Amino acid sequence: MIFGITSFVLIIALSLRLTFGRFLSRLPEDQRKVSVENFKAYVKWITGWKLSFLKLERWDHCLDYLIAWGRKNYLGWTVWVFYALVLSYVYLALSGMFFAWFVPRGLYGFPLLLHVAAGALFAISLTIVFFIKARVYLPEKLRLKTEGQQKGGFWCPLLRKSFPRIYLEALAFWVFVLAGFLLAASTLGSMLPYFNYPAQIFFFHLHRWSALTSVLSACLAIDVMIVE
Amino acid sequence: MRRQNTDRQEIRGLTLKSIWQAGLLLAGLAIFVFITFSVSRLLEARSQAGSMQEIKLRAEEKKEWSGSQLSPLHRIPLNDEFNQKIVPAAPEALPFSTRYSCEPCHSYSTISQGTHFNYRNRPAVDRRTEPWFLVDDRAGVQLPVSFQKHPGFWSPEQLGLSDWKFVTLFARNLSGGGPGEPAEDGHTPDSRWNVSGRLEINCLGCHHRSPLQDHSEWVKQVMRENFRWAATAASGLGEVVGMASRLPSTWSIADGPNPDDREWAVVPQVRYNRNFFDSRNNAVLELPRPEDDRCLACHSVVPRQAKSRAGVDRDVHLLAGLKCVDCHRNDLSHEMVRGFEGERLTRSSLNSYDFTCAGCHLGQKPEKGGKGFAGKLGAPRPAHRGIPKVHFERLACTVCHSGLLPEKETQAVYTSRANRLGIFGKAIWTLEYPLIMEPVFVREADKKLYPERMMWPAFWAELRDGEPVPVDSQEILAAAPEVFNLKENVASLLNALIPLAEEGFYPAVIISEYLFEPDVDGGLKARVLEKSPLAGKSARSKFLLVQLKNGEVRPLLPGFDPDDPPPGIEDKILNVLQNLKPLARGRQPVFLVGKYVYGINDGYLDKAERSGEQAPGPEICFQEGEEFQPFLSDFQLRNLEALGPGPEVLTEEQVTLVLKKMAETNPGRKFAYVASGFVFSLDKNGKLTAGEHRAARAVTWPLAHNVRPAQQALGKNGCTDCHSPNSKIFFGKIEASSPLQTSHRDSRLQADLMKTGPLFQFLFGFTFLVRPAFKLVLAACLLVMGLLLLAVIIRLTGRVSGISGDSSDPESRS
Repeated sequence: MIFGITSFVLIIALSLRLTFGRFLSRLPEDQRKVSVENFKAYVKWITGWKLSFLKLERWDHCLDYLIAWGRKNYLGWTVWVFYALVLSYVYLALSGMFFAWFVPRGLYGFPLLLHVAAGALFAISLTIVFFIKARVYLPEKLRLKTEGQQKGGFWCPLLRKSFPRIYLEALAFWVFVLAGFLLAASTLGSMLPYFNYPAQIFFFHLHRWSALTSVLSACLAIDVMIVE
Repeated sequence: MRRQNTDRQEIRGLTLKSIWQAGLLLAGLAIFVFITFSVSRLLEARSQAGSMQEIKLRAEEKKEWSGSQLSPLHRIPLNDEFNQKIVPAAPEALPFSTRYSCEPCHSYSTISQGTHFNYRNRPAVDRRTEPWFLVDDRAGVQLPVSFQKHPGFWSPEQLGLSDWKFVTLFARNLSGGGPGEPAEDGHTPDSRWNVSGRLEINCLGCHHRSPLQDHSEWVKQVMRENFRWAATAASGLGEVVGMASRLPSTWSIADGPNPDDREWAVVPQVRYNRNFFDSRNNAVLELPRPEDDRCLACHSVVPRQAKSRAGVDRDVHLLAGLKCVDCHRNDLSHEMVRGFEGERLTRSSLNSYDFTCAGCHLGQKPEKGGKGFAGKLGAPRPAHRGIPKVHFERLACTVCHSGLLPEKETQAVYTSRANRLGIFGKAIWTLEYPLIMEPVFVREADKKLYPERMMWPAFWAELRDGEPVPVDSQEILAAAPEVFNLKENVASLLNALIPLAEEGFYPAVIISEYLFEPDVDGGLKARVLEKSPLAGKSARSKFLLVQLKNGEVRPLLPGFDPDDPPPGIEDKILNVLQNLKPLARGRQPVFLVGKYVYGINDGYLDKAERSGEQAPGPEICFQEGEEFQPFLSDFQLRNLEALGPGPEVLTEEQVTLVLKKMAETNPGRKFAYVASGFVFSLDKNGKLTAGEHRAARAVTWPLAHNVRPAQQALGKNGCTDCHSPNSKIFFGKIEASSPLQTSHRDSRLQADLMKTGPLFQFLFGFTFLVRPAFKLVLAACLLVMGLLLLAVIIRLTGRVSGISGDSSDPESRS
């Protein structure tokens, strides 16, 4: 229950925050503030037909964009690893969250079988992506790039300034990797014949809270890394 | 003034003296009426001794428990059902009454509400227990009977079983009380309570620590309808002779013994063993908490495949030194803790959760923040390493830990109550029916899996608006005795041939590859012959009469030259033909040899020449007119061959014949036979058809014992104990067993009862074949990611601490 409510609130809150920030970043700098007018405009913007995901072409557009983004950022065969990561992750997140929110028994049956299979794919692809992309987000590399990336960052209406986007990209990347590591570790731990019932409970909770962290970091990554 | 008053009183005829006298008179009258009324009530109570009405005796208002852990030696007067102290030396002493002997210290009415006595009014929240079984193995009936209202269980009321009938059927495993002590208005015309007495709660049956306490004696006495004597006889305090079942229904205890009949209708009498009484005629009894043997008399289960007691493992808790009553406790309410999760006790002061598996082994769920400690009664705390938590949410502990280990097929078991185990005597008491299987894994209403026992009801029924309503098997047996008595008839025929057998041998018959021989109960037992002379299709409809001795098989019918018969042979033939005469149903038994026919004429052996072709060998036949009919009819051969040595007692042909017979004798009514998960009835063409109905479905009830050692729990060898494509847990076959030999049998997989779906379980089990590889992959991924993360952390730490960094940085040098 606590997990269900917390995860639901956090995911919705982060999504609203990211989309609201993205909405504000589209406005002239002097109008970027938290106000009733801006909020009304934001609601109108987010619920407008133009951005609606009820349109099939919107999904097509997103898919095309994602494929293009993958090709741009991953060279050669590694793009397939990225696609595998995305596909497996989408299923893992959707199935996991859906059952956590709506099915008291939790994940079971054929969705569980697919979840396990997708989990293996996710672990492998995440390891490869981590291996080839870790160097990009090393701290010293961030310092070298900050000057060129001051503009177009993550707008904070309270501080009335933009955060350098590369910092948020790094944050999303490292949290996503760390959460993925914990997800894999908790999965493996629960399958090994070394841990008793309280440890199993611990692994279960570690798995689901890591999953939530992973989803939140993925949301952030989509906003700051993928969507221009 | 005073004078005036006195005058008035005199005028009215009233004086103070007369008022005083009248008052005294009235008071005396009231005392007289009160005493008379009280005495008459006491006398009435005595005359109605044993009724359900609570009688306040000289009960001492005592605390239920003194605080001592000791069980006191009981030096107590034993009272009879008239609440009179028993004097063991008295020539016509009555049996003791637990109601009047135990009541002064222990409230009988409270105890009578206990689990073992109060069948009718158990709480509705109660979990299913093993039902009673109405069994008639001749008619192929095995019907679950229970006071519990669960689908598939028939209540005694539905079957028309009065308390009397119920008790006479099942008293062997009743502890008395409940239906054994019906109220006055509960007496039915078929009952003989006034003769048998009431079946009071047999306190000593559980509590009496004495080598003389004998469950078999209890059974013997209740089968003789010696209800009021049964507890005394079973306790060993006295011997009981006589049978109430042979007494006329007009007899009552007040009539006393019948001096005119000391052979047949002997009135039950007690001869007390005076060694168990002190000089003041108080009985000296040791009555501690019940020993395991007392419980196991009614609550033991053994696999049928076990050849001896040595081959059966005991419950691990007993091996650890616990007793049944250590977990299955009760206070004075005698509401037993059954020990399953979710049990709600309504009268007991005990907390049922403390005595569940988790209650002892885990304590008050410390994982969930509960208080308390594990290890009650020394229970080890299980680690359950590597078992995902879903198992603890969706499975009862007993799934992995209790009952027989699952095999490819469910295994047949005997249970004490159903199959009459634990009754010893000359007769063999164990019944083959009902056929009970275990383990089956059933998902119950709480969504958890439980290991259970299962049986398929079998009964003859009348179809009323399509609903099968059980019919008394006696009615069916009476309608078509020749059909049901197949084995008995053949056994009688074979026994009639005994004069022809050599010394020490006895007759038998070979049909197909089976050898049939008469058993001690007048039936036939069959076994498969390794090498049968009649094996194969060409030998169909043939039989061979043989004689047996210690496994040696010889031909029974002697071959001899009828023109020169050996001495004594004709006497043997005469004896056999005389034996067969009453079994021939109007036909003439004859012995054919060569061209001669031996028959009986006016009690003498008659040898006549036979017309037509002569018999190839000696043969026993039945002659009807000019026709010679074989010793065993085609019907007998066909059905015996079909039944063989299997547990079934009926064939589809027999069922068809019985249903036709019932339809003929009861026009307008439709009958059916329910067995093996189907309802068998005749279609318009008179052919037997099998249909489905919920009344034919199998009934199950959870099992809890025997608990296996942890090393033998499912999952001990890993996940593949259960999760594999050929798992016995999920893909074990459950096939209906029933008294009917038929191809229509309810058949399913364990996964069907679990409601998990066999396809999913197959695929899920399949994943466990690749799971080691999956674990390796995950471990490799974790290793790589871990090393990378470690490298980053080391690098970051080095930079923060200044240990590592850009050597050209002038700040780092300074």
